[in-house]
Amino acid sequence: MTELAFLGLAEAAGMIRARKLSPVEYAQALLDRIGRLDGRYHAFIRLAPEVALAAAREAEGEIAAGKWRGPMHGMPVALKDIIDLAGLPTTGHSRILIENVATADAAVTARLKAAGGVMLGKLATHEFAIGGPSFDLPWPPAVNPWGGKHFPGGSSSGSGVALAAGMTPAALGTDTGGSVRNPASMCGITGMKPTYGRVSRRGVLPLAFSLDHVGPMTRNVRDNALLLQAMAGHDADDPGSADMPVPDYSADLEKGVKGLRIGLVRHFYVDDMVADARQAQAVDDAADVLRQLGAEVREMRLAPLQEYVTCVRIIISSEAFAIHRRWLEERPQDYGDLARQRILGGAAVSAADYIDAQRLRSRLTRQTLAAFAGFDAVLTASSMDPPCLLDDAEACARVYPRQARQPFNATGQPAIAIPAGFTPDGLPLSIQIVGHPWQEAMLYRVAHAYEQATGWTKRHPPGL
Amino acid sequence: MTADEEAARKLALAMGLSKVDPGQLSSVVSSQRKLVAQLPKDLHWSEESALVFRLPPFRGDKP
Repeated sequence: MTELAFLGLAEAAGMIRARKLSPVEYAQALLDRIGRLDGRYHAFIRLAPEVALAAAREAEGEIAAGKWRGPMHGMPVALKDIIDLAGLPTTGHSRILIENVATADAAVTARLKAAGGVMLGKLATHEFAIGGPSFDLPWPPAVNPWGGKHFPGGSSSGSGVALAAGMTPAALGTDTGGSVRNPASMCGITGMKPTYGRVSRRGVLPLAFSLDHVGPMTRNVRDNALLLQAMAGHDADDPGSADMPVPDYSADLEKGVKGLRIGLVRHFYVDDMVADARQAQAVDDAADVLRQLGAEVREMRLAPLQEYVTCVRIIISSEAFAIHRRWLEERPQDYGDLARQRILGGAAVSAADYIDAQRLRSRLTRQTLAAFAGFDAVLTASSMDPPCLLDDAEACARVYPRQARQPFNATGQPAIAIPAGFTPDGLPLSIQIVGHPWQEAMLYRVAHAYEQATGWTKRHPPGL
Repeated sequence: MTADEEAARKLALAMGLSKVDPGQLSSVVSSQRKLVAQLPKDLHWSEESALVFRLPPFRGDKP
């Protein structure tokens, strides 16, 4: 079972296409594994075995009839529980929406289903993608398989945990202030926040409309490219969706980094926010690996990290408060303490302050894109620290904002977090690679070269 | 009553947040004020917000 559990999406797709792996047996094996393990890790809020097995049977029949749809055909996928799957509740991990049954699929769910994806169920999140880790919600917080007692990052925490524990080869997360890349960093997996507007958000509970992204999460880079391929595309019914062509995200994977110009934003994790020494070293080491592979790596400067953080935090709290205001008036007690606290902040932001934060965002975006000119991609830290203990509320509160992901929510640029080693006690370290708008393929190219050179993604949590 | 508590009381009244714990609201007001104070003071009037109101494309006269 361990072999099936940690099978990559690309590898599984090849086996399914060649009819060496039955989608039904694959889905059933993962459902059985989730049943065995999830009492410990709490990755899933709700499993959907009937939905999954029906889709797997359909896929198996079609493939047997010679109608293979592509790499996602018969492929298990799990959804963060703010993404609609018709017929199942979308709860946002909250008492507020505990009975909110989705009447239609989210646009991204529909795309994955059309590609032949097999929906396993709904994954744990921080409440409404902002309040966590919390122990005062209807479901417990997800637990990181690395270490077994640690914070898995968030808010797409169940997505990171399910991948790290070998429960699914593919999961969806969302990223408003770093919530795909945080669990990717903490759980030793791969998470991409695509360019703003690349993936439709229709049918996804909003946190902050102007910053929300849906992103693919997998165990390695090649799988991530395949998953994004099935998710990306214009949706006229999402006001933030962009009508831009979707390239082949896997086409350049093997091109390597020789001759590429890569910027290194060291001041984020050395001066602006002093990272844990092991994490800082991991980013510096990654720069050396890319140099050894033939890239030209040069240090560069962006605006101070705190400017981006101020901008993003004001926008998130303001937009989230607008969305949650009625519920906060009528039933504040139905929120967990952390979500209520973080969303309420928006009540204290004036309209002028919110608009100034958006104006600051325009300025930062302009400056950032100008600084990126002359570089093919940029390397920096994702998280500043390795995972802390989940039940240490003080440590979680301290570590939660120590990150360099929010700049790229503000600018909307694509950014990927990938594993970059481990602490001596076996906890994941990570790096972040950032690109020009719509250049996800370049990020996959750089990330894949690094991944192949280091082999970090071949490791799995001990005992799993 | 501190300035933050007074601000929280007024906010609760203005926003209809009477059911929210006043202590939590006061603490939120305090931290949010500090955050907003970090906004740059040199934003020029010509620096426009990124948010743009966009209309959907015209799809013909069919409903």
